[in-house]
Amino acid sequence: MPELERDLREVGRLLVFPPEPELVPAVRARLGDAPRRFARRRVLVLALAALVVALAAAFAVPPARTAILRFFHIGGETVERVETLPNAPHRSPVAGLAGPMSLEQAIDRAGFRPILPPRHGGIYADDGVLATYIGPRTVLTEARSDLGLSKKVASRQTRLEPVTVNDHDGLWIEGAPHVVMYFDSKGRGQEKHVRIAGNVLVWAYGSVTLRIEGPLTEAQALGLARSIR
Amino acid sequence: MHAYQGIAFRIAYLVVGNAAEAEDAAQDGFVKAYRALHRFRSGEPLRPWLLKIVANEARNRRRASTRRDALTLRATAESSSGEAAPSPEAALLESERRRALVTAVDSLPEPQRLVIACRYFLDLSEDETAEVLGIRRGTVKSRTARALDRLRETYA
Repeated sequence: MPELERDLREVGRLLVFPPEPELVPAVRARLGDAPRRFARRRVLVLALAALVVALAAAFAVPPARTAILRFFHIGGETVERVETLPNAPHRSPVAGLAGPMSLEQAIDRAGFRPILPPRHGGIYADDGVLATYIGPRTVLTEARSDLGLSKKVASRQTRLEPVTVNDHDGLWIEGAPHVVMYFDSKGRGQEKHVRIAGNVLVWAYGSVTLRIEGPLTEAQALGLARSIR
Repeated sequence: MHAYQGIAFRIAYLVVGNAAEAEDAAQDGFVKAYRALHRFRSGEPLRPWLLKIVANEARNRRRASTRRDALTLRATAESSSGEAAPSPEAALLESERRRALVTAVDSLPEPQRLVIACRYFLDLSEDETAEVLGIRRGTVKSRTARALDRLRETYA
């Protein structure tokens, strides 16, 4: 590399930038309360998922057609109420994941060690996410929260109930189909939409977001979740 | 968003040269990106698209503001790996050369300054730089070449 270009890169490395501000709370606050503008450094620090998760919504939910009503954030998962659900096919929760594979292969592929119940089926995995059947038509999915890979879009008919799972915040989603959108971890807009007819329990456990999807009651889902620790 | 807020803030800062304006520009850029997502083409890389919106916001603010802080360098440069530590005199000379280079970059016309900042200070690829600055890849190449020529004249 010519000397000048090498010097420029070196200068870039040594440039002093002001301290990086925390933009996420301000942006989240403004998105959740669009008419108001929040002044710098006046916003509350909120726990939230990565914006890429929230960003995925607009692919399927054009703002002119549907109004975003409310966000819920659990670990790396966002749940958002909308007026109209986007079109999406019914697919298996493990669709798009490789497998089944062994636990060690899944760890290697997903990049983290999952927390599993005593009894489970083969494991399906991809970068930052893995899933396994833990009962009839019941799937446990785990995703790294920092990647913010998925989003659920729920209609008004869907019941959203905050719950506690093993002392961790969670959300019970019941009553109507909702749509899950995955956004890949490499920042490319490869979203996949899946329509979920079953009920879902989502909770955060450290840096991992877990969800159980299936034809379960809230008590059954919580019972299963309590065995995963 | 966490993944991109650092580089978004830095690119905004390099455009407006002011921390408060850069923070506002980055924040506005993220909000606009969210609202413009229906225009994002699936399969395209997210980062340059997002940074382009932030850079546009910063440029709009730059037009409204004349004050731009000069770029500064860390006082002590770490020695490059594998090289013997330079003598104090050599280190001082090197430090002055770098300062002169920063001043020279700061004095470039804005289009050239931004292309140098994207390519060398933020380490963006030519494609990313083109997307972020809203110009063609060929323009990135020619503008970079002109900027480097100009820097060689003033910095050499």
